[in-house]
Amino acid sequence: MSNQSKKGILRRGWTSSVDDYAISGGWSLGGEVLMVADASGGIFAFEGKSGDVLWSQQKVHEGSGLATSIHPSGTKFATAGKDGKVLVWDVSKGNVMQTLDAGSGWVENVVWSPDGQWLAASCSRQVRVFNEDGQEIWQSDDHPSTVSTIAWSGSTELATACYGRVSFFEAASGKLSQKLEWQGSLVSMVLSPDGDIVACGSQDNTVHFWRRSSGKDSMMSGYAGKPSALAFSANGILLATGGGQDVTVWSFQGDGPEGTEPGFLEFHEQPITTLTFACRGMNLASGSRDGEVAVWSLKSGKQGKGIGVAVALDAVSQLYWRPDDRALAALDAQGCITVWRT
Amino acid sequence: METQQRVPVTILTGFLGSGKTTLLNRILSEEHGKRIAVIENEYGEVGIDQALVIDAEEEIFEMSNGCICCTVRGDLIRVLGNLMKRRDKFDYVLVETTGLADPGPVAQTFFMDDEIGSEFALDGIVTLVDAAHINQQLGRSDESTEQIAFADVLVLNKTDLVNGEGLDGLESRLRDMNRMAKIVRSEKANVPVETVLNLGAFNLDQALERRPTFLEPEYPFEWTGVYSLEPGRYELSLAEGPDPSMSLVVVTDQGKEDEALRQSAEWCVRRYAEPAENLNPGETIPAGQHVNLLLEASGRKSFMLEIESHAQLGLYTQHTAEEFDIKLIREENKQEIPFEVERTWVAQHEHDDEVGSIAIERDGDVDNEKLNKWLGKLLSERGVDIFRMKGFISIAGESRRFVFQGVHMLFDGQPDRPWGDTPRRNQLIFIGRNLDEEDMRKGFDECLV
Repeated sequence: MSNQSKKGILRRGWTSSVDDYAISGGWSLGGEVLMVADASGGIFAFEGKSGDVLWSQQKVHEGSGLATSIHPSGTKFATAGKDGKVLVWDVSKGNVMQTLDAGSGWVENVVWSPDGQWLAASCSRQVRVFNEDGQEIWQSDDHPSTVSTIAWSGSTELATACYGRVSFFEAASGKLSQKLEWQGSLVSMVLSPDGDIVACGSQDNTVHFWRRSSGKDSMMSGYAGKPSALAFSANGILLATGGGQDVTVWSFQGDGPEGTEPGFLEFHEQPITTLTFACRGMNLASGSRDGEVAVWSLKSGKQGKGIGVAVALDAVSQLYWRPDDRALAALDAQGCITVWRT
Repeated sequence: METQQRVPVTILTGFLGSGKTTLLNRILSEEHGKRIAVIENEYGEVGIDQALVIDAEEEIFEMSNGCICCTVRGDLIRVLGNLMKRRDKFDYVLVETTGLADPGPVAQTFFMDDEIGSEFALDGIVTLVDAAHINQQLGRSDESTEQIAFADVLVLNKTDLVNGEGLDGLESRLRDMNRMAKIVRSEKANVPVETVLNLGAFNLDQALERRPTFLEPEYPFEWTGVYSLEPGRYELSLAEGPDPSMSLVVVTDQGKEDEALRQSAEWCVRRYAEPAENLNPGETIPAGQHVNLLLEASGRKSFMLEIESHAQLGLYTQHTAEEFDIKLIREENKQEIPFEVERTWVAQHEHDDEVGSIAIERDGDVDNEKLNKWLGKLLSERGVDIFRMKGFISIAGESRRFVFQGVHMLFDGQPDRPWGDTPRRNQLIFIGRNLDEEDMRKGFDECLV
């Protein structure tokens, strides 16, 4: 990365900490609050500008928290844990609004639909969808194996990934609308903003993707590790993928990415752990196992250029752009929360 | 960031009823002060408060390329991936598989998944064997055979239900299948905890240190006697024995120390690989040649040995001296000459099971390029059938010995300590199904410089 001596666009904001490995979180209330869940079952609400703890609670999930999701309105925060429960929190008051029963095992995924009408949660081989009142609307049949990840392809359709399959369900009815099969363990999934392209990282160090409209699928190989971090740009043109220490960027412009060379963003010296595009524009943030954080401008395409670097205390578990893209938060394996102004 | 110590993982396999849960409870109830996490694939009534017990349904993930060594256990990746997200990491992880589990994918998970491999280290595979039922199980299922073949430790459990002779037979059957494993006997899985934990079996630095003689190679001969002889003619006299003939190689200038015996034994293995010349009673035995003494006639039979100058003679005989009451007699005074040193060798014998161990032990150096070619070909053709392998190699031109180990086609090797003054040699062991021992030995011998 050029210009390493300066930190580029990442300027010191605040740091704070939670009680254990910081698992997941996000900005709420339009960026006024940063929510974080940790591996000991604690949740924390940090004041967005100062990092002061507004409220926190310990052991809200027996065992550990596993996943979180911020409601699109920014006022509610869902947490899921090893206790089979999903809790819906009022961000400003710090109290539990709803306790949802999501199964009898680990609830590894929880995601609000883009319109905030539905909340989906997966536990073992099943996925359940709840409405805003916290009522369970439907639950799926058993998937062939444990659901590894879930995502909304729009506000009316939920996608799930597991070993060998991506499935699509109608949000309101739970009807299975499409099934994409591939013999491989799908460990990560991202959908293009229009919901047409589904990309999955696979255990065998490949990225597999499908174009749902044409039914065409392709596989991108050559990764050094399993691509567990994936991110689509807001315009749906660039797909950034981890799977090794370089960020590999595929362009869906024209006939690509089939038959094209990807862009390689080289800076990290350890495998990429997380990737996230800014809410608007073409800035991409990447984090790695050694705690390095980089920001890349992909304005001019997949080659990109580094525009900022910084370092967290330990392996970066998540990166979150504030809704106005003027700050970037990093969660790490030591439970340290670092926020930079951009 | 400092490199963290990886958390050791022990895998417990064994058929239903073999005592896995009993052993698990035993390990957990010992006062060890360690934080142990247990991953269970079948309901096993583990009831110990100080351990975190996680139930996980076995999920086998095969890859689209069809390569069996890429097959991993999804449930372990998920659970272990989650266990490492804790500040207070566990000191130890135990995985109790189902009775029907294939240990291959379990072991491979630690090598194939980079995230898991960076946080956890496979310490060893312990297989519980129900002494009363294993004979039937071995005949019926591939899984129980593979669980034995993959093991670093075989706990022969419920020994109170089988008599001593039965146990010896069983142990020898297990030993044939897996000569790398340590076998311990128990009644109610009451084995010392240190025999099953912290084995370092997959650690290249430790694996060979712990059992420097894990390879007791098999020889085509059972006995050696060393005689100090003055010039003259001698009779080798044999009584009637169990076979109508017996092979033999005579070594002149045989040293009496163990190292000298071992070196000659290596040399004799190669002589034994050559066709034997048949000798009738009364004929003279040439030195340094593979000969076959014909013993069909009744009564004692004698063969001649001619010694021109004072010699220390080594006899490498197919059977023990006892079996044929072998005597060496000086012709001129009919005086019997006693041997000064004797030793017995582990003899080759028929292996009944499809799964077996092949041990190769050779002195000298190997050509690196030839070795890579041979091993590469072997693993690509037979990797599916090779469950485990382990050993060390003396590569020509390298000052340090090269240690290696593998699971199926996954191969891991590195230079180890310098040879220094120790004699350079090679030890390899392969455990697998229907392996062609002769072909593998020949293949390796061709790599020797």
